[in-house]
Amino acid sequence: MNLLREVAGGLYKMFVGDAWSTGAILAVVSVTAGLKAYRVVPPLIAGAILFIGCIAVLVASVVLSARRNRVR
Amino acid sequence: MISITTAAPAVSAAFLASLVEVVEAFTIVLAAGTLRGWRAAIAGTAAALAVLVLIVVALGPALDQIPLHWLALLIGTLLLLFGMGWLHKAVLRAAGIVPLHDQNAAFAAEAANLSDAAAPGRAAFDWLGGLIAFKAVLLEGLEVVFIVIAVGAGRGLLVPASLGALAACIVVLGIGAIVHRPLARVPENTLKFAVGVILSAFGVFWTGEGLGIAWPGDDFMILFFGCAFLLAGLGAAQIVRRSTRALTP
Repeated sequence: MNLLREVAGGLYKMFVGDAWSTGAILAVVSVTAGLKAYRVVPPLIAGAILFIGCIAVLVASVVLSARRNRVR
Repeated sequence: MISITTAAPAVSAAFLASLVEVVEAFTIVLAAGTLRGWRAAIAGTAAALAVLVLIVVALGPALDQIPLHWLALLIGTLLLLFGMGWLHKAVLRAAGIVPLHDQNAAFAAEAANLSDAAAPGRAAFDWLGGLIAFKAVLLEGLEVVFIVIAVGAGRGLLVPASLGALAACIVVLGIGAIVHRPLARVPENTLKFAVGVILSAFGVFWTGEGLGIAWPGDDFMILFFGCAFLLAGLGAAQIVRRSTRALTP
């Protein structure tokens, strides 16, 4: 049971290392999917939003984590 | 026909990621083997590898049942979560915010844990040593399995990606068998940085394909995304390093 729990914990940590960036990535993907599905923007613009959104999430999550680490 | 622009990043991602994971698993198996006996460490490693093979064999056909665009969206999103997670950690380590992973320290910590537990008699099988090796290989191996499936599934690249992972295992085990101590000189963070960049690039590409976005230049976009993630990662490390220096009295 302990081993199963550790494996489950390992799997969880594989994809949810940092809760903020996980939430932000899922939000970017969802917004892109919504924009594409409802044809709010052309597909290529949706792709650009996905790509730029992910880059922005990376930079923001690193800066936020660094700030949190410094406060500690 | 597999294009080189798709195969090269997939195989190198599988190889580099496996290199990192196998080095980490090797450190723990080495501690278990040295302190608790090689019979248990090898048995634990073999059992974990068997479980990993079972997972791949079970997952492979199941993935074939999923429509391609759903598979691309699922794997793309998971790759984004996983790859950007690695990149995030690697950038923080490169900026000096989080300490680098030290294989010698990991070996010493594992050795201290194993030394504390009472060793069984010579003839008895050391279940603790076996279990530690099993757990290490299974947990690190799951990440390798995910990466191989993620970069290989849906594009006919499962075999090249698996070969990339296998090559990493052979390299680490070969060097490990010769030096017989933790492989502390492997530039782990640089490898993690590179793998994070490649997996994030694949993640954007696949997620877009899953959403029905036809990328201009097809597979070449993976290289473009990779360059952009690399620059963003290096830039973020620079920003954080500078702001830390500015705050230091």
